[in-house]
Amino acid sequence: MARFNDLGGKTPAARVVVVAAGMVSPLGFSLKEALATLKTNKDCVSPVTAFDATKCRCKTAGQVPDGGLDTRLNSRKSRRLHRASKMIVSALAELRDQDSAFQPELTVIGTTSGGMSFGQDYYRALHQHHGLRRSPRWIANYPPQKPVLDAQEAFGISVPCQIIANACASGTNAIGHAFECVRSGNYQRVLTGGYDAISELVFVGFDSLQASTPEKCRPFDRDRTGMVLGEGAALLALENFESARARGAEILAEIVGYGISTDNHHLTQPDPSGSGPRRAMEQALQSAKLTPNDVDYINAHGTATVFNDAAEGKAIQELFGKVPASSTKSMIGHSLGAAGAIEAVVCLLAIQAQLLPANINFRSSDADLDLDIVANESRQAQIDIALSNSFGFGGTNASILIKRFTS
Amino acid sequence: MSLRIAGMGWVTPLGRNVGSVWERLIHNEQATVETISDPVSPKTYNAFRVSNETLKDLPPHPRLRRASAISRFAAAAGLDALADAESKSRKIDMERLALVFAVSNGGVVYTKRFYHGVVESGAQSASPLLFPETVFNAPASHLAAILGIAGASYTLVGDGAVGLLAIQMATDLLESNALDACLVVAAEEADWLLCDAYHKWRLLKKEPPVELFCDPPRGMILSEGAGAIVVAREGTVQIDQIDAGGNFWQRDQAGAIVRQILHNLADKNACIVASANGTFIDLAERSAIEKEMSEAIVYGVKGTLGESVGASALWQAIVGSQALLTQSLPQQSRLHASVGSKDLPGNMAIVLSCGLNQQAAGLRLRI
Repeated sequence: MARFNDLGGKTPAARVVVVAAGMVSPLGFSLKEALATLKTNKDCVSPVTAFDATKCRCKTAGQVPDGGLDTRLNSRKSRRLHRASKMIVSALAELRDQDSAFQPELTVIGTTSGGMSFGQDYYRALHQHHGLRRSPRWIANYPPQKPVLDAQEAFGISVPCQIIANACASGTNAIGHAFECVRSGNYQRVLTGGYDAISELVFVGFDSLQASTPEKCRPFDRDRTGMVLGEGAALLALENFESARARGAEILAEIVGYGISTDNHHLTQPDPSGSGPRRAMEQALQSAKLTPNDVDYINAHGTATVFNDAAEGKAIQELFGKVPASSTKSMIGHSLGAAGAIEAVVCLLAIQAQLLPANINFRSSDADLDLDIVANESRQAQIDIALSNSFGFGGTNASILIKRFTS
Repeated sequence: MSLRIAGMGWVTPLGRNVGSVWERLIHNEQATVETISDPVSPKTYNAFRVSNETLKDLPPHPRLRRASAISRFAAAAGLDALADAESKSRKIDMERLALVFAVSNGGVVYTKRFYHGVVESGAQSASPLLFPETVFNAPASHLAAILGIAGASYTLVGDGAVGLLAIQMATDLLESNALDACLVVAAEEADWLLCDAYHKWRLLKKEPPVELFCDPPRGMILSEGAGAIVVAREGTVQIDQIDAGGNFWQRDQAGAIVRQILHNLADKNACIVASANGTFIDLAERSAIEKEMSEAIVYGVKGTLGESVGASALWQAIVGSQALLTQSLPQQSRLHASVGSKDLPGNMAIVLSCGLNQQAAGLRLRI
C-alpha cells in the first residue's frame, strides 16, 4: 500500500498547528465546559426529545439543548436556520473569541446528514397535505453546506467550502484533509471540523440496523449491545506553524499525522480482521514519522457495536498493545459527522489537561480484547501524543495524531 | 504541478460514452423529458432521465445488486473513465489511485422510500436494507469496492459547483507522490421529490425547451446521470487553473462572485462552458461574461441535457475537454448565437459553475 502522505521529498512538509478551537456538544457549550464534564465522567445521554422514539429499540441520545446556542445572526434570520447552523455558528463564535485574526483560505467540514430534519418536515408536510407554506425555508436550509455557509456569513467569511460526507469518518477525514492542505504548503490557514444534528430519519435508520442499543452505551465491554446517537459541532483552526508564529498566535497543539483507508468488506460492517482501521492508524504513524510506542492515548472510534469494537480493538491491540484507550462516545453518544471533530477536540483537551478521558459504563473486559481501557473514571497521565480514530459506513477509516505543542 | 485529464466517462439522458454523447450534442439532438409522478401528490413534473438501455452493459457486481440509480450511474461513468485512461496510457495501479465522489442531492429515491415507510407505518417498519443506501458516500463505497480502491476515498457534497471543488480536491490529493491518479466522479438521480422541491423554490420549468440566458429567466428542468474524469500527471487536456471561488448569500450577489472568478480565469483564446440553466444563474453569468469576456463563445450544455446539479460541473468539464479536443461546439444553447465572431473554441475552455445553493467556482482547461 502506497503511503498517502508521501510528499516525495519535493517540498519540506510544513508543521501544522491548531491555533483555536470551538465546540458545542452534550459535554457543554464551550471547551471549558467540556473539560469540566470530562473530569466528572458524566453520562450525557438522555431520553430523546426531538421526536417520538417510543417505537424504536433505542430511546436515548446525547443531545445539545437548544437554549445555549449562540447564533450571532439577527433574530429574523436566526429563526429560519436549522439547529445544525446554530451549533456550528456557536462553535465558530468560540473559536473566533480565541483568535479573531484567524482568516481561513479554505473551509473543510465533515457531516453526514446536513439539515436532515428539515427534509423530514418537508416530506411529512407533503404526506399530510398540510403545512407546506414553510417548505421553501426547509428546502433552502436543508443542504449540507448550508450550516457552514451560515456560519461563514455570521462572521463575514467567504472562502471555498469543501463538505466531506464520508459517513461517520467525515469529521476526522475533514481534519485530515485540512492538515494535508496546510502541510503541503498550498494553504496557510484552513478552518476545519464537523457537525451533525440529530434527526428522526438517521435515528430510525441505525435502530433498524439494530446498531443502536436500548441499554447503556458500553464501548469495548464484553456485554456491549450497540451505540447511542449524539450530536454537536466542533471546529479547529489549522495554520502553518511559521505563519502562526509570525503573527503571534497562541498555539494549542500540533496535528502531526493522518491516515485514510477504505475497507471494501461490506457497506456497513468492517472487515473482522481489523485491517482497514489498522492501515489508517499505520499510515497516520508513518506520516508523522512516529512509532506506536510514541502514542500516549487513543481516543477510539468505539461505537459499542459488536463488530466495530471487535475489529478496532483487534487493530489497536496488534499495533499498540496496552496504550490507554477510551471511547468518549460512552458519555456523549455517536455524533456521526461531528464525532471525529469532537473527539479531536477531546484529544486536545486531554493533552492540555494531561487527563485520560473515561470510557464510562464499562463493566467487564472482552476476553478477545487485551486493551488498557480507561474504565469509568478519567485519570491523570503524561500525554504528549494522542491518536483519534473514526470509521464509517462505506468502509471509510481515518486516524489523526495530535501532539502537545513544543516550539 | 501540471495535472491533466487522462480519461473521461459520461452517463447522460442522451446516452453513455463520451464520443457518442458528444456526436449527438454536435448534431443538436435534444434529450427528451419523462413525466414523473408520485402517490404523495397529484402534481407531475418533467425531467430528463437516463434510460435503462443506457446501463445495459454495466458489468454485474454484487455491490450493485440492490444499489440505487445514482450508484449505478457513478459506477458506469467511473469505469468508463478508467477504461478510457488505460486505453490511452498504461494500466492504473489501484493502490495508487484515489477516489473523489461529488454529489448534491444524493440517493434521494431510497431516502424517500425509507422515510416514507417510517411516516406511513412507524419506526418499526423502517427498512435496514434501504438505510445504508441513503448515506451520501454509498455510491463511492460501491465504486471503491468494484475497483478495489483501498486508499483515499472522499465524498464531497455541495451544490452545482461541487464537481469543480472535487477536481480541486483531486489536485490537492495529487500533491502526494504516493498517488498516480485521482478518479473524480459526480452523479445525481432525478426524482419527483426533487422536482417538487425545486418547483417550490420557483426554479423549475414545466415543459422544455430550457431557454438559456433569458431575462427574466424561464426556469430549469432537472436531469440525472454522472460524469467522471481521471486526473493524472499525463493526459490530453491540461487542468490549467482552478478558481475554487466562494459563496454568495443572496441570489443577486451571484453575479459579483461569478465575475470575480471569470476575471481570474479570463483569456482571449478561451471559450466558456457556462452553468446557465434557465434560472437566476443565467443572469449572473451573462452579466459577468459581458463585463469580462464579451467576445467569447459561450455554450450552456444544460439547455440540452438539463440541470443534473451535483453531476453538472463534471458534465461541463467533459464538454470543455471535448470542445478543445475536437475544436467544435454545438450550435444550440449559446449566448450571442447570432454574433458569430468566433466559431472555434480556441485552445482554452473556461468552465463556470454557479450553483443554486450559494456556491460558485471556475476551471480553465487548456490543450
